[in-house]
Amino acid sequence: MFLNLSAATFGIALMLAAPGLAQAEDVPEAAPPPAPYAKVSDLVALPDFLPGLGTLFVDPATLPAGPFLGYDRDGKLAATIFMTPIEDLQGGTSYNDLAVGSNDVSSVDIYYNAGHPGVEKPHAHVVLFHGADAKARLAE
Amino acid sequence: MMPNRRQVLAVGGGGVVALIGPAFVLAGPVEEIRMQGTSRGEHVWFAPVGLAVAAGTTLRFVNLDPGNSHTATCYHPTLFDRPQRIPAGATPWDSDFLLPGDSFEVLLTLPGVYDFYCLPHEHAGMVGRIVVGTPGDAGWQGAATEAGDLSAVALDGFPSVEAILKAGRVMPPGQP
Ligand SMILES: [Cu+2]
Repeated sequence: MFLNLSAATFGIALMLAAPGLAQAEDVPEAAPPPAPYAKVSDLVALPDFLPGLGTLFVDPATLPAGPFLGYDRDGKLAATIFMTPIEDLQGGTSYNDLAVGSNDVSSVDIYYNAGHPGVEKPHAHVVLFHGADAKARLAE
Repeated sequence: MMPNRRQVLAVGGGGVVALIGPAFVLAGPVEEIRMQGTSRGEHVWFAPVGLAVAAGTTLRFVNLDPGNSHTATCYHPTLFDRPQRIPAGATPWDSDFLLPGDSFEVLLTLPGVYDFYCLPHEHAGMVGRIVVGTPGDAGWQGAATEAGDLSAVALDGFPSVEAILKAGRVMPPGQP
């Protein structure tokens, strides 16, 4: 569970007064990330590359929220994506202390998705782009 | 993105389901229903959502949505224990998940009304209705009248049989 913020990392984060993001420190820039990450298209019936999100990897234990790691066509990390079911949010579920693939977050997009294999319920996509060109690299 | 990664033919009424290759030549008319969605997946739909065809028409469902998977699954007790919304005697069909570019074909022989849905998107109103033949045909079976376990959003998605027969094809709201 290297994705979860370990106590030690948390301590260091506090000492450094880092911004409140938990980083998935062992996530490589280049795909594929190591287990327990698995390629989403190997888990469910979805294409390898999703326009706008890239080639997604997720630790199945973290579903539905993720983080999902989105890699571009060249296998370079471009986004961290969270998928939060609207119904669950409405019911009081919150998703806290989620890890990110990189602390280099250039911009964030949030939008509605009606559901897809893997996260069937209508949900929000929260997309953290890593680098000013990340969105373009994931476009198609 | 050629719709030839998977070609499946389901024969309604005869109880025969056969795998075929892309070289298979189909007799009789072929009509297409597209599975589509917005690029970010906010909305998904079948286009057309209502279609009138003659008996003996092969219907091809093709997924043109580059960012999502869809199914064309008819309402039938043998498929996920859903209420029957296809003519009695017609063979129920389920395309299973079609990836972008995939297609699925079903031959419709019995006259009547066939209601179907997309497994992951029924809750988003991704349903459709096919009318085979006309109410005057021998053996015609009209639309289901009971709501059963269908949600309001799914029920709202079916165009009326009259509208489908009048126009031939009905596009979903907001689609040209
Ligand atoms: Cu669908």
